[in-house]
Amino acid sequence: MKYPEIDKYAELDSLIHRFDPRAKIITFTLLIFSFVFIEDIRIAFVSLLFSFFILLVSRIPFGFIFNRMKPGLIFVMPFLIVMPFALDGNVLYSYNGISISYDGLYYGSLVVIRAATSIMLTLIMLGTTKMDTTMKSLHSLKVPSPFVQTLMFSYRYIFVFIDEFLSMWTSMKAKGFKVKANKHSLSIIGNIVGMILVRSYERAERVYHSMASKGYTGESRTIVKFKMQTADYGLAAILIGTVLIFIIYGMSLS
Amino acid sequence: MKTAISITDLNYSYPDGTKALDNVNIEIEQGEKIVIMGPNGAGKTTLFLHLNGVIRAEQDNVKIFGNNIGSMKTEDRIREVGVVFAEPDDQLFMSTVYDDIAFGPLNMGLSEEEVDRRVKKALATVGLEGFEDKVPHHMSFGQKKKAALAAVLSMEPRVLVLDEPTANLDPKSRADLIRVINDLNKNHGITTVIAMHDINALSELADRVYVLNRSIVAEGPTRDIFSDHVLVKENNLDAPDIFKFFKILKCFGGDCDQTPMSIDESVKELTQAIEALEGKMSLHIHESTHEMVNDVISSYRH
Repeated sequence: MKYPEIDKYAELDSLIHRFDPRAKIITFTLLIFSFVFIEDIRIAFVSLLFSFFILLVSRIPFGFIFNRMKPGLIFVMPFLIVMPFALDGNVLYSYNGISISYDGLYYGSLVVIRAATSIMLTLIMLGTTKMDTTMKSLHSLKVPSPFVQTLMFSYRYIFVFIDEFLSMWTSMKAKGFKVKANKHSLSIIGNIVGMILVRSYERAERVYHSMASKGYTGESRTIVKFKMQTADYGLAAILIGTVLIFIIYGMSLS
Repeated sequence: MKTAISITDLNYSYPDGTKALDNVNIEIEQGEKIVIMGPNGAGKTTLFLHLNGVIRAEQDNVKIFGNNIGSMKTEDRIREVGVVFAEPDDQLFMSTVYDDIAFGPLNMGLSEEEVDRRVKKALATVGLEGFEDKVPHHMSFGQKKKAALAAVLSMEPRVLVLDEPTANLDPKSRADLIRVINDLNKNHGITTVIAMHDINALSELADRVYVLNRSIVAEGPTRDIFSDHVLVKENNLDAPDIFKFFKILKCFGGDCDQTPMSIDESVKELTQAIEALEGKMSLHIHESTHEMVNDVISSYRH
């Protein structure tokens, strides 16, 4: 079974993999935030190249990252298509009253580049650390416990739901069901989704019973063994320095 | 001998009013191996949730080693009773096996060193050494089942309650799990209470059987329970194949002192019976043999 594991390549060895997970979360979050506020397309492009450089250093296969970037990019692509027509500004091309504006193309491209950069960095951040370590890092960074626990259980049970969905799907196919673009297929798929919701509700109750049986009272207790090394401080300083360079250079242009 | 579990007149109804448990009375001694049998929906899981205080009884009628489980502190009650539920995916809710097994001990407020020691010991007990960093979705059903047991063993409870421990396991994993449970009972003095339908594992896992069908319908040694074919049928149960086979053998003249419940017992009983007959047991068919055989078969057939 092919699971959508984000941490499939977390066992590789690279500078980014060895980076302390807490420092990684902080520095990558700073990088992402500074990159999404870049106003100049040339600097945005350099930030994309910089993210690509980090990807190279992390040694995660490009195909793995690009495949996972697709859904996000499909979501922002409409900006690139709609904005050139919708935004007023210098006209690049006009035909029968429909005009493509330079400003629209500029801002549409800027949105897509910013999105690509931030998605790539997020994927590198999550892809170079095992998911449980990421959760523990969030916990030790004092991210509110309900948020970390929700993330943790969501990630854990995605795989269980995929298994459940696939077993239902197989059993439907075994009974001759074929997906067609009609009302019947839609209603059957609707039923499956409903069934998964009901099952997840029942499972949640059973999981809670099992947690309560082990003394769970709402608090998340976990063993965290992280220690910042000199190399971690060095890499964190370089990345924060990069953030500052991008901000200062961006401000000098505006 | 101390009383490990004492339940008196326990009643429980679901929120919709359906009665799940009706005047349940159970008394289990320390170190006993108890199996609770009964049809689907008989209230076994609900009973187990009462045993470790997840569902609190209205009166103080569930006592573990003399103390009312409902009024115990969380850390104390999980130290007394550990429940392993049927579905391992419901019990392995953390990201790694290590975190799952450490979950209970951490809630008990133990030090990190002690938690680490317990995790390693529990993994070794179930034969999953080296699985610390494994994620549950990369494990087989049998491994998950063992990990779920380890996650309870790490709390080192005095009473271990297991819901369908052998269900859906391959024969090797099933045998492994039965061995682990028996070892815990025999060598560590842990009282075991097991709900199961796996009748062929009964003789290995039960000193005594309770038949639960909302209320306790019967209680006694396994052989007595399965000799009562009316009781067996009425409660959707079945007798072990070997037990039925020796009942049939008796119709052909192959009589043993006691009807064996397992292969091991059958070897012992058969040897004793043949030795008593000076090394020869003769089987024969007489007028009523077929009628007797049919009676035995139909008495246990659903």
